[in-house]
Amino acid sequence: MNPILEVSKLNKSFGGVTVARDIDFVLDAGAMHCLIGPNGAGKSSFFRLLLGEHAPDSGAIRFSGDDITALRSFERIRKGISVKFQVPGIFKALSVRQNLEVAFQHHLHGASLGGTIRRVLEFTNLTGEAATHAGVLSHGQQQWLEIGMAVGVEPKLLLLDEPTAGMSPDETRKTGEMLHELNARGITILAVEHDMAFVQQIADSVTVLHMGAIFAKGSIDEITEHPGVQEIYLGAADE
Amino acid sequence: MRTFGRGFVLARALSSAEQGARRVELFPAIFSIFYQFGDAFAFLVISCAGLAVIFGMMGIINLAHGEFIMCGAYVTAASARAGLPLPLAIACGAVAAGVVGMALERAVIRHLYHRPLDSIIATWGVSLIATQGVLIMLGPTMQGIGTPLGSTLVGERSYSVYRIVLFASAVGLLVGLYVLFYRTRFGVIARATIQRPAMARALGVDTRRVYGLTFGLGAGLAGLAGGLYAPTMTMVPTMGATFIVESFVTVVVGGADIFLGAAPAAAILAVIRAALTAWYGQLFGQIGLLVAVIVVIRVMPGGLSAFLKRWQR
Amino acid sequence: MRRLELPDASEAPARQGLRLWLSRLEGPQTMGRGPGFWVAAALAVAAAAAYPAFANDYVVGNAAYFLVWTFMAMGLGVVWGYGGALSFGQTAFFGLAGYTYGVITINIGSAFGATWLALLLSVALGGIFALLIGYFMFYGRIKGVFIGIVTLSVTLVLETFMAQTAGPQWRIGEARLNGFNGMSGMPPLTVPWFGGDVLLYAGTTLYYVLLGMVVLVYMGLRMLLNAPFGNVLVAIRENPERAEMLGYDIRLYQMLAFGLGGALAGTSGVLYTAWGQYITPSSMGLTSAALPIVWVAVGGRRDITATLLGCLLVIAGFQSLTIYGSQYALIVMGVLLVFTVLVTPNGLIYTAMDRVGRLFGEARR
Repeated sequence: MNPILEVSKLNKSFGGVTVARDIDFVLDAGAMHCLIGPNGAGKSSFFRLLLGEHAPDSGAIRFSGDDITALRSFERIRKGISVKFQVPGIFKALSVRQNLEVAFQHHLHGASLGGTIRRVLEFTNLTGEAATHAGVLSHGQQQWLEIGMAVGVEPKLLLLDEPTAGMSPDETRKTGEMLHELNARGITILAVEHDMAFVQQIADSVTVLHMGAIFAKGSIDEITEHPGVQEIYLGAADE
Repeated sequence: MRTFGRGFVLARALSSAEQGARRVELFPAIFSIFYQFGDAFAFLVISCAGLAVIFGMMGIINLAHGEFIMCGAYVTAASARAGLPLPLAIACGAVAAGVVGMALERAVIRHLYHRPLDSIIATWGVSLIATQGVLIMLGPTMQGIGTPLGSTLVGERSYSVYRIVLFASAVGLLVGLYVLFYRTRFGVIARATIQRPAMARALGVDTRRVYGLTFGLGAGLAGLAGGLYAPTMTMVPTMGATFIVESFVTVVVGGADIFLGAAPAAAILAVIRAALTAWYGQLFGQIGLLVAVIVVIRVMPGGLSAFLKRWQR
Repeated sequence: MRRLELPDASEAPARQGLRLWLSRLEGPQTMGRGPGFWVAAALAVAAAAAYPAFANDYVVGNAAYFLVWTFMAMGLGVVWGYGGALSFGQTAFFGLAGYTYGVITINIGSAFGATWLALLLSVALGGIFALLIGYFMFYGRIKGVFIGIVTLSVTLVLETFMAQTAGPQWRIGEARLNGFNGMSGMPPLTVPWFGGDVLLYAGTTLYYVLLGMVVLVYMGLRMLLNAPFGNVLVAIRENPERAEMLGYDIRLYQMLAFGLGGALAGTSGVLYTAWGQYITPSSMGLTSAALPIVWVAVGGRRDITATLLGCLLVIAGFQSLTIYGSQYALIVMGVLLVFTVLVTPNGLIYTAMDRVGRLFGEARR
């Protein structure tokens, strides 16, 4: 397997709070990987570091073999990373179609833009809502729209921050199917997720973060049976 | 307009400092530098305090800030000429501006808390109304009051005692605000409301009243600025504009916290301003401030207070 | 909750070049579409063109004065309404370009259409200055209220600077800056013509030139705002983080929009200077800086048509009030501003257009 994302010795702290402690993390191309960990484990910060919203204090991030540590967010996106935020990051005043236009017009024009938009609308089950203002979509539909915006230009790596937060069980299941389909098309997926059932549905391997450091890594079964993992979740529940 | 910063003072003082090695006149030179600095510092702190309180606590930039200053100055001048002693007259000016501020908060600002940018525009409308209203009612200028306390000689140069009093007032103002926000019940409730409005409401705090009082306090501080500087200025309806650039710049450089932000920002800017004013004149003092602000926001987003807080941890 | 029917762009055949751009005269970012709207627009322009036939030269010159300001208003509409950056200091670019026009034309004269060269250079300078300020603000990640404060400070400092240039040492070539009293004596715009130049003093000819410019700029902005640039600008206003995470350098877009706004403000500045052959520092002062905000806020900032109409309407109202004294007119402006913010935050004209559009079903976005 060739790695698509290699993070080495990544450190970041804000004042006295360390959000990333010597993180070494390798993600193989084509993987479907989940990041889990109790609240405050540093999952979101890790995403922000990957996306360039925070600059690390030390360490390096390589993507597809290139060092992207010093690149700005939009430059990383252009290299083939894509993200779906936890809170639906859509343009509420624009229609569903305009949201997708804005998402793709950087790479696509004319007929190929129209074609991609049609495909993504189908993929996200939003064809009937193309002309609707995105702000009035249901929560689940907004999440899908954002996934559509994130994958329309075929990124190499898709980062998802709690993609199913606030979704109904049915919506959650559909989302899982969507992600499998994307993965089958060759998109590597890295997701932060709380819902362990969903993790089981999608992930082929899991990394546990705790206090800004990697605590454990392995298959779902290995992680669920890992005694320390249960401990940190229980410990975190005490807080 | 403002009789501020006589450029030659420091330049002369410095040249006399060069001779000081021979004539041992170091003290007057140092005093002159401190006087210039203190003058600029006092002006920045006093003029920005009201703006900083409203911005820091409520996130609103009050574009009618200059008009509250004008209001304070006018009321101060009127009461002083009616026979009140100056300190009392200044208090009247501050209270008057504070009352007007609370009325404005109730009439306009209160409806715009969820739209901070709109509230700024509304205060600009109020500013237009106030400036023109005063122009129509009271005419293009009003009889001022002379600068009290005369002057004192240090070395060969004379200095206005009132400007030294202003410096003391600026320091006193900062101490007073610190006590108010960190040592009184109102201060604790106000800070709690600003940090966690929902939580404060859940604890039974009337947050609307706190916002109203905070806005009134900010307006009153602007009025105090007007009152304090009334004796040194020409009384015209647009006099508030004189303070605007300096107070904005101080708040922008300072950021949201008045003690960690506005006060040290005022100190730093005062150095820049005093130096540039002394060597190149008042205009370059102002341009220097503007360049400073643009550079500061380029290198420390969130202003000095965010920077200091990060560094403090 | 409102669901609006939106045009389905993907079904349209792919267009290229000029036809692509012309198709962008209508689109998601501008109100008004379909024959009904364009007939109304053509009638409005025709009425404006016929106006001089029914009025004397002085009144027409005064109407030309209204048109002078629309460029600054539309520029602020782009920066604030579409880009979401509330600039309080458009007058800085207005004044800079106005003074530049004066300095250039006083020095090189007005022969061979040199005034138009001066116009271009001055507008470019206004735009470049705006790009520079925009660079520091947007690349410094300044947001929200701070943009307002910095821009306002810039214009006020420029005013202070120009006000103290009274001395004879403040001259650029032949041109005296003249401090608080302002600069005067520059030539009006001049069109080289057979049998002698046509001087565009405030009057009918200038009115037609300005009307043509307003129509061109308005159409150009419609096309730009419906182009990918406009889409991205609106996306940045709605959700800057998401826009960046789609691969857009949002700082660059905001800076470019700000530069465009500065160039348009500069256009107004040059035209104002050429119209009255004078410019003073107070054109960059606090009151002057407030006026564009009033026009755009009252008209409606989120639509370029509403901005244009609002600007003309408010200035016309302001003028008719000035007959009763300009101090009262400013009070009315202040009241109008507070009223708009409290009652129709989207702007009076915008709200009215929205209502009318719903009635007729044609002005919809």
